[in-house]
Amino acid sequence: MSDEQEPPRDLNVGILALQGAFAEHQVMLKKLNLRHRIVIILVRTQEDLAKCDALIIPGGESTTIALLARLAGLLDPLHEFKKTKPIWGTCAGAILLAESVENAKKGGQELLNAISISITRNGWGSQIESFEAPLEVEGLRESERPFHGIFIRAPVILSLNTSLTGEPIQIISRISTGLLPSSQTVVPTDEDDTDPRDPRTIVALKQGRHLLTTFHPELTKDNRFHEYFVTQCVIPSLRDHA
Amino acid sequence: MATPVHTPGGSPLPVPHHGVGNSTGTPVVAPTRSAHTKDVASSSLGTFGVKSGLAQMLKGGVIMDVVNAEQARIAEEAGACAVMALERVPADIRAQGGVARMSDPKMIKEIVDAVTIPVMAKVRIGHFVEAQILQAIGIDYIDESEVLTPADNEHHINKHPFKVPFVCGARNLGEALRRISEGAAFIRTKGEAGTGNVVEAVRHQRAVMGEIRKASVMSEEELYALAKDIQAPFHLLKETARLKRLPVVNFAAGGIATPADAALMMQLGCDGVFVGSGIFHSGDPAKRARAIVQAVTHYNNPKILSEISEDLGEAMVGLTIDDSLKGGRMASRGM
Repeated sequence: MSDEQEPPRDLNVGILALQGAFAEHQVMLKKLNLRHRIVIILVRTQEDLAKCDALIIPGGESTTIALLARLAGLLDPLHEFKKTKPIWGTCAGAILLAESVENAKKGGQELLNAISISITRNGWGSQIESFEAPLEVEGLRESERPFHGIFIRAPVILSLNTSLTGEPIQIISRISTGLLPSSQTVVPTDEDDTDPRDPRTIVALKQGRHLLTTFHPELTKDNRFHEYFVTQCVIPSLRDHA
Repeated sequence: MATPVHTPGGSPLPVPHHGVGNSTGTPVVAPTRSAHTKDVASSSLGTFGVKSGLAQMLKGGVIMDVVNAEQARIAEEAGACAVMALERVPADIRAQGGVARMSDPKMIKEIVDAVTIPVMAKVRIGHFVEAQILQAIGIDYIDESEVLTPADNEHHINKHPFKVPFVCGARNLGEALRRISEGAAFIRTKGEAGTGNVVEAVRHQRAVMGEIRKASVMSEEELYALAKDIQAPFHLLKETARLKRLPVVNFAAGGIATPADAALMMQLGCDGVFVGSGIFHSGDPAKRARAIVQAVTHYNNPKILSEISEDLGEAMVGLTIDDSLKGGRMASRGM
């Protein structure tokens, strides 16, 4: 099964377009230059979702997106979708992919439980703690060139849990602790935060077919993460179905 | 610090975002203005990139005025993407008169503690100390707002030195670009707050879009003349003409009272909607708030709009906007 022998087929990539920065993802996907043609579907209804081979859940407000998904009758279809098709969540999307969330609104919020992690909302603090920092990312094209991470009221990963399906979690990027905002709230200063196993510095990971980033590749002009999602998650999953 | 770094956003951006059926075309997005340089090995806080980036995350959402923690919770449950904390909603400011100022920081902090979504608060035009206070309590966005009584009739706040981002109102393209030049990372129409009458918001949005359409076909010489005419910085006007949209996120505000009003403003090219008095001055705030949130998502789907517009109870009482309007025309404050 080498790449060259696969006949190129259109990829129907959906972007959940209920609230948030979905148009930015659309612009990034349009700039990809791959052998497969990418058909972008803005997903607002079950009919839209049914056409998709894969889905991106954009940044936005996770409580708002979850509520609109429920009102649009999308929650159950999304739970089905995750079992066979890849989903990439950025920021708010990352929260929705998680198994459990802290700092959620009173009464909690709906999650898709597609990736077995615990996550906290606004992990670094309020908007004035939002920051930009260069990231080293494993497996990106030209991975020696750092990827510019834009963290806006970003979530923070608290723990990696064991998945029911047994899929291992693959860490793609960690932020070096020296780059964290000095006033950030999650890692107390008297604690050793240099432990490489500390999950709180993980900012991008992959589990099975799903991808998660706590920052916003769609706000950069660098489409290597979008290319990564298509080549490492979407195309392999089509092969699994073939 | 935080001078906007103009890094035009790569893709060609045709067709003005205006009218129906735009969901399949190339979207027009405000460009990212990250502080990205090739050799950075440090992180940076409060850049124009993260300021305008938060506004991008609010797109397709509804920002609701709330006066206490209880209303903030209702707004969050109804799907608001942010709340605006203030002491009195604009309709009450109109009715009661007097000088309207920044809210009590204690009340704002109670609202911050009650919800997980971003919290915004208003300062008077030109009152940079009120802005310093709001930054100190960790508010997520500041609205330098004509709804409050202006503190300075000549100057707006220099918004660049702040880590917290600002949204400002505008009635036309020149006003919008002047505010962006001062550091605003987010623009909204002024509309006429507290009236429940959408006519001024429509006028302002149509003015901005119409001027952008004209500018987009102008030669450079003509753009220089237009910049002088509308008193806008040339480089921002040129970027706007190239993008065929404002270079930052643009919401509707002022007089929106129904889901149809919200969808109207979205179809006129707004990125999202502020609702002030329209929710908590209506018969059933929770239900109306949720309906307006859905209307902003499904603004191009009349079938869904008809379903969510049903049985919402009474809308707020609207006011006619003329010279006898109680509280006067707020939109003419701070040009």
